[in-house]
Amino acid sequence: MIRSHFLNLLIFSALVAVFFAFLTQSDAKDRVRVVLILGGSMVVLSLIIAYVMYPFPLR
Amino acid sequence: MSDTLVEQAAPGARSAAAPFVACFLAWLLPGLGHFYLGKKVRAAVFFAVVVIMFALGVGSDGAASLIEQRQPLTFLATFDNLATGPIDLIDRYLTYGSIVYSLPGEEGDPRRRELVERLRAKVRSVTYEYGNTFLLTAGLMNILLILDAFDIATGRKD
Repeated sequence: MIRSHFLNLLIFSALVAVFFAFLTQSDAKDRVRVVLILGGSMVVLSLIIAYVMYPFPLR
Repeated sequence: MSDTLVEQAAPGARSAAAPFVACFLAWLLPGLGHFYLGKKVRAAVFFAVVVIMFALGVGSDGAASLIEQRQPLTFLATFDNLATGPIDLIDRYLTYGSIVYSLPGEEGDPRRRELVERLRAKVRSVTYEYGNTFLLTAGLMNILLILDAFDIATGRKD
């Protein structure tokens, strides 16, 4: 089992991005573009949200 | 290389039952509906992605959901688990030691206590939330694959 938040985020983003790339696109270049944009957006936005939430207490 | 070169639909029109056969196969095994429709590359990718997602869910101590009458969202979660097809049985068995879909209604029921205790053992795992997210996402993906297979079989999509 993977305990790293970041590694879980990377794996999850990659799998979802590949899934939607193949679901919505039929051209290889378009698929690569969707993987990069969708996967990258998920990772970057998650890090931004995590950064914004950092000052809030856990309890 | 585009699908138009790599993946070509099986020649000839399929029968009127084909969309439902494709949907059933898509539910039976992730990607099998697309394979049946001649989309072999997509089928392989979808199979790999959904099975990896499911395996990560099981490996991260995700738990199959049980229907609890007083918690309506458990209906959705259980439906979502069922959407992954027969592979859901693996996680259900690993979580509860048997194939079970709902909690007995009475609080004092020993079977209910046993199931809740098995579920709590999973919830205590540090990666439980990750596992559940992976499992639920695998189910949602397979729902999309079933709908996509239907669209391809009916000619709405290539």
